[in-house]
Amino acid sequence: MTMATLPSTLAPAVPADKPENESARLGFRLTLPAQILVLFIAVFPLLMQLYISLSDWAPLSGVEWWNAWELWNSFANYSDLAADTRFWSALWCTALVMVICVPAEFLLGLALATLFADDFPGKRVFYSILLMPMMVVPAVAGYMFFMLFQSGGPVNDILSALTGRTVAIAWLSDPTLAFIAVVIADIWQWTPLMFLILLAGLVGVPDDQIKAATLLGANAWQRFTTIVLPKMKTIIIIALAIRVIENFKIFDTLFIMTGGGPGVATETISVYVYKVTTQDLIWGYVAAIALAILVVLSVVAVFAMKRMAKARELAA
Amino acid sequence: MPLQPPSLQQSCQMKRSVPFELFRYAAILLALAITLVPILWMVSMAFKPIGEWSATGAELTWWPKEPTLNNFRFIFGESTSNLIVALDRTALKPILSSLLSAVFGTAIAMGAGTAAAYGLSRFGSGQNLPLALIQLRLFPPMAVMIPVMIMWAFLGLIDTWWGLALIYGIVTLPFAFWLMKTFFDDMPREIEEAALVEGCSRWRVFTRITLPMMRAPLASAALFVFILNWSDYLIALLLTTREWVTIPVYMASLSSSMTGQLYGAKAALGLIAAVPPVIMGIAIQRHLVRGLTFGALKQ
Repeated sequence: MTMATLPSTLAPAVPADKPENESARLGFRLTLPAQILVLFIAVFPLLMQLYISLSDWAPLSGVEWWNAWELWNSFANYSDLAADTRFWSALWCTALVMVICVPAEFLLGLALATLFADDFPGKRVFYSILLMPMMVVPAVAGYMFFMLFQSGGPVNDILSALTGRTVAIAWLSDPTLAFIAVVIADIWQWTPLMFLILLAGLVGVPDDQIKAATLLGANAWQRFTTIVLPKMKTIIIIALAIRVIENFKIFDTLFIMTGGGPGVATETISVYVYKVTTQDLIWGYVAAIALAILVVLSVVAVFAMKRMAKARELAA
Repeated sequence: MPLQPPSLQQSCQMKRSVPFELFRYAAILLALAITLVPILWMVSMAFKPIGEWSATGAELTWWPKEPTLNNFRFIFGESTSNLIVALDRTALKPILSSLLSAVFGTAIAMGAGTAAAYGLSRFGSGQNLPLALIQLRLFPPMAVMIPVMIMWAFLGLIDTWWGLALIYGIVTLPFAFWLMKTFFDDMPREIEEAALVEGCSRWRVFTRITLPMMRAPLASAALFVFILNWSDYLIALLLTTREWVTIPVYMASLSSSMTGQLYGAKAALGLIAAVPPVIMGIAIQRHLVRGLTFGALKQ
């Protein structure tokens, strides 16, 4: 065969004995399992969720779920949702956690990344250690911080040593302090993620422009704000988007530390939905809450997707 | 000196001042301390005898004065003289459950994800998958669990490791798909094309040439997906009740009204749960950025 000498810019060389549609058929077969899984978990369950959300159906209502129409409640779940103060307070709590955690993680991660931008002895070891928190199982991290914030725990011990007085704060049983503890745990665990992504972006900023700016007399701060940050814009947006999405789901660490309490002081959306699902068992209502969240998030997904596609184009 | 990764400032040949170097090390040491204190506290707790667990009324000990393995013995069912309670079930089965569900969940995600990624990357099939899978990733698990719980109950998958494995496989499918897609996109096609010209079928090219060449990226992606599956708490909390609870769910049972929190036992189990993903994570450090950003950013 001499066809191997064809320039590789030509489309895949397909010998005459191979039908063109072989690739299409194989492509279809290869993507089939993933398509089935998506249908199985996304499309069908969403329809089921929509159906149930229009009724008073519950696992103990004595009716199979497909007969939920017998319990049709003419959109009462959705009007209940609008008036559900606990839902809005959970949403508020989730938002509050987010507006504190995400910027804090971003700024700390960016600061660490700039410290790691050039080489220095010990860099690799420090880098590996600093990434460790994000690899710790979140539930275990929750347990770590549960221990740390006990009134006879190490946090109070450190505070005692710093202030010279005996500090015995019951962190997790005070609404404000429990909230602070939960925020600290999230920042501890996820700053490394910001650090990791931002450092990768920082190292990717082309040297020549920085060199040129240096020759022109720009100082480090000017170089950082006028060249490095604008070049990192897309990466920063991606990093923030990832944390916003993940932070919105916050559950494991928080639930183990406080269980959403004291009272509802740290009750985020996921914790609230979990409690309504497992304790109140009003699944028709839960389905309505879940759908409302999903609709909002889908809009965000389309937006994030466009951003990422743009980033990939730029990277290519 | 080992080779260092390339860096931003190197070629600028800038001399950093001594005060800056001092500041850098001080800041990094502070960050290291904050990073390590929670981890080391748990490690230390895992080896503490019961008398040193709680600081209430007693001196807080940062490092075990009398290190012991009793906490580990305790969670594996060996009765130890200094613990009053006996466990009605040991940590062995939860560990097995975590392991089985994470391993098979990873197999499902990697199998379906790799195949679909190749189909899209080479043949343009399944154009809907990228967006569908990102949306899947975006949804809080809590918001789709009602139908999943109904379906799993219907299929008899509640409280089984294979039921968990199935949902894990679906939940981490987006990561497997995106990681493998970027790896396939990056892979030079000349070898595949040459094999096609030699008369191989496309399926043969995929299984005999592409996959063996992608062994290292496949392994990294699989480890990445395994870490995610191993880290789950919420799904296992909802879908397992007793027989096949996973480590994090089981952990909650290590407290009783009689003894309160069994700190040492929990810490020992936490240590067992935390070690594998940390080691794996460090092993695949190079690919973490790619995995976490859905391939938008490569390191």
